[in-house]
Amino acid sequence: MSLLIKNGTIVNKDKVFKADVLVNKDLIVEVSSDIKTEAKEIIDAGGKYIFPGFIDMHTHLRVPGREDKEDLFTGSKAAAKGGFTTIMCMPNTEPAIDDYETAKWIIDQAKDIKLVDIIPIGAITKARAGVCLSEFGRLKEAGCIALSDDGCSVKNGYILRKALEYAKLFNMLIISHCEDEDLAAKGVVRESNLSAEMGLPAWPSISESITAFRDIEIASYLDVPIHIAHVSSKRTLEIIKEAKARGVKVTAETCPHYFSLSIGDIKKNFNSLYKVNPPLGTEEDVQAVKQALRDGVLDCIATDHAPHTHLEKEVDFYQANFGMIGLEFAFSLTLNLVKDNITSLSDITAKLSANPAKILSLHNKGEVSQGFLADLVIADLDADWKVEALEIASKSKNTPFLGKTLTGKILYTLHKGKTVYKS
Amino acid sequence: MTEKITWDKSHLLGLKDLSREDIEIILNSARSFKEVSKRQIKKVPALRGKTVVNLFFESSTRTRTSFEIAAKRLSADLVNFSSNISSLNKGETFLDTLKNLEAYSVDMFIVRHAHSGAAKYLSENTSASVINAGDGQNEHPTQALLDMFTVQENLGQLSGLKVAIIGDIFHSRVARSNIWGFSKFNSDVWVCGPTTLIPKYFESLPVKITYDMKQALDGADVVIMLRIQNERQQSQFFPSLREYRQYFTLGEDKVKFLKNTALVLHPGPVNWDIDISSSLKSRMQPLILEQVTNGLAVRMAVIYILMEKRHYEFID
Repeated sequence: MSLLIKNGTIVNKDKVFKADVLVNKDLIVEVSSDIKTEAKEIIDAGGKYIFPGFIDMHTHLRVPGREDKEDLFTGSKAAAKGGFTTIMCMPNTEPAIDDYETAKWIIDQAKDIKLVDIIPIGAITKARAGVCLSEFGRLKEAGCIALSDDGCSVKNGYILRKALEYAKLFNMLIISHCEDEDLAAKGVVRESNLSAEMGLPAWPSISESITAFRDIEIASYLDVPIHIAHVSSKRTLEIIKEAKARGVKVTAETCPHYFSLSIGDIKKNFNSLYKVNPPLGTEEDVQAVKQALRDGVLDCIATDHAPHTHLEKEVDFYQANFGMIGLEFAFSLTLNLVKDNITSLSDITAKLSANPAKILSLHNKGEVSQGFLADLVIADLDADWKVEALEIASKSKNTPFLGKTLTGKILYTLHKGKTVYKS
Repeated sequence: MTEKITWDKSHLLGLKDLSREDIEIILNSARSFKEVSKRQIKKVPALRGKTVVNLFFESSTRTRTSFEIAAKRLSADLVNFSSNISSLNKGETFLDTLKNLEAYSVDMFIVRHAHSGAAKYLSENTSASVINAGDGQNEHPTQALLDMFTVQENLGQLSGLKVAIIGDIFHSRVARSNIWGFSKFNSDVWVCGPTTLIPKYFESLPVKITYDMKQALDGADVVIMLRIQNERQQSQFFPSLREYRQYFTLGEDKVKFLKNTALVLHPGPVNWDIDISSSLKSRMQPLILEQVTNGLAVRMAVIYILMEKRHYEFID
């Protein structure tokens, strides 16, 4: 046996319990109390918590094309540091990940790096232009399991319909970036009393909710699954809730910034590190996101990790790029929900690991149980740590949490039985 | 030269952050400075040895010239730095640009930028004083201060007035600064324009909203006509200039709703026959030009007050 983790508390989706975890090579072979079996390595996790490795359905690794922002190695390091053992990278790259060769190349590179699993998300349409479908079958052969034109909506409803129908042939998940570009009108902050006050071009929540409604309606009509990315507004959540109640196969994610920050944080100093798409919501939106996480209207928490160089952020708010990095902070920010009594500890596992595994049919991930992959996170829930630029593993440092103190620290991240991060 | 100053701010970024007392300090000081420009020798030695940079990231000739003359009449050395090229294209951020200039021991930056919050952002990253000369749709504090100065000179007060701001409220930093300024003196500020040019949620600001010129003009003590950019028509804010003119241009048909004592201001440049009918030019233009004169006095006051603050800090 290669590894024994003693005295930890296991956090699964349905149960929190004290147990030892025995690992052989890349698999969990036993989870029970007081395992006596000899192992090459022993970790004492007394007083610490063990989660199944986190799965991020929404990461931007900027490869190929913008390796100055992030590359597969730095992105993997950031993931491992944040407890993520599987990350799905979005295809809004240069060129877009819209063919077999590009997708396969990324997967092979990740295998060489040997830190975390990287599963590229294929583009729904060629070059994400919204006109011709990509070769879903070939993308599937390369290893893709989901498709998205993230960064853009599929503007043409007919093309989206064909994509949803064709994806069914290969059992691939369509992930929808919901934004009506015309209604968004180049807005940079959520339209609200504060946008009116600041005089920054406003982005109305209807830009998101109308597109979500359309996309869900098409999926419902075809009776196929659809996943709504980075939900940020109250109205969109109401639409998802209503669809779920009708039995529509819709799943949805939000991101830590949508329950941790609001437009009020921008008002103080117009800091472009808070600029993200969709823009941070109003206090009402933030409360709705929390409620939806509690009620299960939101299935998962994804990071939308969006690295940008300092050049792209060290400008005024309007000109700055949209997006903030998130892999290294998602766990601590999600833990705040537990501390604030919004969700339970097992909800962390549900939202960051078990639900994404289920949505993506990753059958050997998302649970600390016998037979599952030894993708494990050992964390100290009470440890404080300060976010400092020099300590950030990601190549880019664009986070509004710079200088802030967060609670909840990852001590170990194990990927297929190997320690890929140790604090 | 001026009365005792109790001024505690390093920058002038907007009227939102100023108290009524702060505004009074500036206006009182401007009154003294207005006199300087009437002298034979239009210059005082107050700011000898101080360096001021006009840092303009958006084209502007009027505001830039006004600040330039203001600084020069105070004997400061002024340098113009204009750039319309996105700094990203140069591979340098605008913060880098600021730091490069700061390396010359600059005392003050006067910043104009096309986007909201830019002056605030720079102020947090420099040891020099920053004056916001207009940032996006956010604020243009010296414009509102000169409007208030003009009103105070002509009407003798700033309180209890009805102030109507008319036209393109949506894109106007002048409107926002005047709203913050006049509302601090318990004047009623009204905004009026086509429904498409008044942002949603504007009711959360200290203003009353109307879409009817008659209601806006009725009983108004001050009317501030804003500039309509011709290109707004292309972006569907209104269907045609012809239709705009019918409802919102201050012409003979609407001027009759105004009381005789009402002041009509305009931040300039006037888009004649769209903002105001040219038939009213001879009646309206003198006050609009007086605003320009007052703008110089107000800018001299602001530069002086911020420099004095800096000077005392230096001695401490």
